[in-house]
Amino acid sequence: MSFADSLMAGLEIVGNIQSFLALFAGVAIGTVAGAIPGMSATMAVALTLPFTFSMTPITGILLLLGVYKGGIFGGSIPAILIKTPGTPASSATVLDGYPMAQQGRAGKALGMALWASCTADLISNLSLILFAGWLASFALSFGPPEFFTLILFSLTIIAGVSGDSLLRGALSAVAGLLLATVGLDLIYGTNRFTFGSPNMMGGLNFIAVLIGLFAIPEIIGMVWNPQVSADETRSLGKNWVTFAEYKKCFRSIVRGSFIGVFLGSIPGIGAAPSAFLSYSEARRKSPNKENFGKGEIEGVAASEAGNNGVAGATLIPLLALGVPGDVITAIILGAFMVHGLQPGPMMFIMNTNIIYGLFIGLIVSSVFLFLIGSVAIRGFKYVADIPRGVLFPGVMVLCIFGVFAVNNNIFDVGVMFAMGWLGFFMMRFRIPTAPFLIAFILGPLLEDNFRQAMLMSGSSPVILFRGPITWFFWSITLVTVIAIVRAGIRATTKETPPLPPTNQE
Amino acid sequence: MEDRAIQLQLGIGAMVLSLFLLFVAIPSWVSSPSNVPNIILSPLFWPNVLAGVAGIVGAGMVLTAYWRPKPAWTEPPDVPSRPAAFARLAGVAAIMAGTMYLLPVLGMVWTAMLVFALLAFLVRTRHPIAALVCAVVVPLILYGFFAHVAGVAIPQGNYVRLP
Amino acid sequence: MKLKLMGAAGALIASLTATAAFAEYPDRPINMVIPYGPGGATDISARSIAAPLGKAVGQPLIMTNITGAGGATGSVAVQNAKPDGYTMLFARVGSHSVNPAMKATLPYTLDDFRFVTVYEINPVACAVAPSSGIKTMDELIAKVKKGGVSYSSSGVGSLLHIAAVMVLNEFGVENPLQAATHIPQKGGGAAATAVLNGTATFICTNSSALASFVANGQLVPLMVTTPEPVKGFDAPTAAELGKPALEQLVGWTGIAGPKGLPDEVAKKWGAWMKTATDDKTFRSTMESRGSVIKLMSPEDANAFIKAQYKTFRALVDKLGMRIEG
Repeated sequence: MSFADSLMAGLEIVGNIQSFLALFAGVAIGTVAGAIPGMSATMAVALTLPFTFSMTPITGILLLLGVYKGGIFGGSIPAILIKTPGTPASSATVLDGYPMAQQGRAGKALGMALWASCTADLISNLSLILFAGWLASFALSFGPPEFFTLILFSLTIIAGVSGDSLLRGALSAVAGLLLATVGLDLIYGTNRFTFGSPNMMGGLNFIAVLIGLFAIPEIIGMVWNPQVSADETRSLGKNWVTFAEYKKCFRSIVRGSFIGVFLGSIPGIGAAPSAFLSYSEARRKSPNKENFGKGEIEGVAASEAGNNGVAGATLIPLLALGVPGDVITAIILGAFMVHGLQPGPMMFIMNTNIIYGLFIGLIVSSVFLFLIGSVAIRGFKYVADIPRGVLFPGVMVLCIFGVFAVNNNIFDVGVMFAMGWLGFFMMRFRIPTAPFLIAFILGPLLEDNFRQAMLMSGSSPVILFRGPITWFFWSITLVTVIAIVRAGIRATTKETPPLPPTNQE
Repeated sequence: MEDRAIQLQLGIGAMVLSLFLLFVAIPSWVSSPSNVPNIILSPLFWPNVLAGVAGIVGAGMVLTAYWRPKPAWTEPPDVPSRPAAFARLAGVAAIMAGTMYLLPVLGMVWTAMLVFALLAFLVRTRHPIAALVCAVVVPLILYGFFAHVAGVAIPQGNYVRLP
Repeated sequence: MKLKLMGAAGALIASLTATAAFAEYPDRPINMVIPYGPGGATDISARSIAAPLGKAVGQPLIMTNITGAGGATGSVAVQNAKPDGYTMLFARVGSHSVNPAMKATLPYTLDDFRFVTVYEINPVACAVAPSSGIKTMDELIAKVKKGGVSYSSSGVGSLLHIAAVMVLNEFGVENPLQAATHIPQKGGGAAATAVLNGTATFICTNSSALASFVANGQLVPLMVTTPEPVKGFDAPTAAELGKPALEQLVGWTGIAGPKGLPDEVAKKWGAWMKTATDDKTFRSTMESRGSVIKLMSPEDANAFIKAQYKTFRALVDKLGMRIEG
């Protein structure tokens, strides 16, 4: 069948009002769910799943994909407005988005988040359509040794988000790595720092840690010093991003999108590391390096491009190999199977119409995302107008509900509070929190893949150097580390005093 | 606080933490089976490596504290009254502890109302009426959404159950 | 007018505070704990039965995922709940027969729960990647004896873990823990991927987790453990290979309450499950995923789980696999 035939076959099954309605509803549900902290995109997709059982396969799957895409974008709204990432994927967006909101540029930050998201989404979808086969076979060549080197390289992101002191960034990262060891050991199933509590055995809930570290310190900080503009509202500022700004950030957006596509096509990495990697690359390449973390619009653009770039690409291993890359695609795989469809190489031959129908739907979803996102921003941005004396208690209550809802466990609320104090302490001692978070995500992956590789080889380290992929990551890691160390030494011995810290409140 | 002093304190803190982990925490709270074929596969290996790195980073901070530039600006006093600020912090801590205790007893909605009101009072909001109204309305809306739209089993407590 | 209003408000408050003691069970929504994450086999099974079961119960069922520690976190939540029938658990082979058999530090035992039913059986299949060149169980065992063979699982104490060990043990491999390397992964999806990309040699897991890979020719099935062949799996059964003992090795999903669940509640669940499992949509959904719907009475369910637990426990003790720390 030629490409045009396949396209027509695809159009035949999606070219009806139900499919587009489902897609539209999906994006809308996802955006709202993503904007509520604790309602992650994963939860929204899981909750939508039972409704798809009675639909035709393509309609149901388009609905789920819509929720997924909407959810990833929606997470950026609270990340920017109240420093509470709606989904883990938008934690990098906090770094520059929240300072922008503090400066009264919330509208601009949200606008840029939307533009970057839609651009990345489109690039990701096109990559899926064009390179699915090729990227999928590439993804399968990632075993534990390749993962280990990839994650080792990703840890160099920490240097990019450490602010002016590399050592403090490193300290923050070590703390994150240590906290991530809580729970049952992967290889032997023994207890590590669980103190016999069944709640600790599962490890600390990631979203509880995330919200605790970002949102709660703001609240504690306000209690510490309520005088500083306690009830001042922040004006929205000029509320739309200009085309010139978009053009300026375009390179970062495209770079972020491709980082997202690359990491998304490898099962098991997820959107949060991709956003951080994109962010640190944008910072490294930017002439405004100093302004990153203090409200640089390019930082928002890069983070959002990085996490939305993942969305289409995670479908690559799913459709081409039947391998789910994360929990969301695992749920979508479940939806396929309920309808008697089995994603994998055969699907491209047996169900071409469904594959091309999905492709068409995906492209349309980028447009829907733009439309719904614009409306959502206009609705949500008034959050910035709420007096802080009312807003912050509200955020606290929202966080309690949200964190509980993630795993239906009151213990997680306690974890969030404890992390809040840790975050407040780190804020007071000027330790950056972003490295902590990156380490918390990547630490277990690093350790697990290292030990899996050692199991494979019978404890011979040679396996960590097998094949060109490991060599590639080893060499770029080495180059990056040398660059970081040199920059670090130069900064430490530099005579000129650093700029005064930007006031948080 | 001066940046140099912070660096020094953090460095010493990290080294103490490292020693504590290496000699107290890891031996007593991380268990490992006795038949691990190789040390690098042991569950103890990674925590020990991290504790070691923490120590090295700490040492690095102590050493570089000397090179931290003296601040060219004078720190503005960040709160007018430190005792009052600490008292307020204790207040938040009490609210949080109270939340953990009350969540299973009172249920999430009623506890959240108390948290909202107390916190608004603690930061001395200039809109007390609005804050009180929100304290009642926001938890109810959240309950409605999470319990009835998202299907989450929000804790109900032992006294008044919401539909 | 005013009085009326107050009366209405009073009635409302009274209805809000009405206690469960006087009403017939169930008079409010029932909280159903799923101890595994969204999208997993337990979750899909639980959510598929939720609709017909909710109709039979006549009250909403609130599906609650409490994940962590291989199902232990959610199980403990139900263990500690009031045995009033308003908090029930979707128990699974991993959380309620493999884990108790393997982990000495587990905060619960089988006696802490009262099973009201087992409703789903999942056949177990073993598979390898086509590139390994292995086509039969005998070839696999021969290769194990030569050394260098590994198997993947979804974690320590999962069905996949004990399944591989049990299969090797039944096929006469001496000391299976040393003869083949266990490479645990995070979750069942990752475990299958590990075999696809050559990280591990073989996997033994629920046939539903392998169905699409087998259909696509990405994995070669070697054996299934049910008495009857499994549709879509061109592989002999355990009995055909002369190892009927492996028929114990199946996955299952059941429903349990805390210990001390009243008899009448258990009886009601028996009746509800009968209605729910007769539902056509439910059956076709589950069967399309490769599950066998088989409803057990509370007594049968208890006996079935105890028997499986004993088999696993004996194997664990024989090989010294029990985790003490």
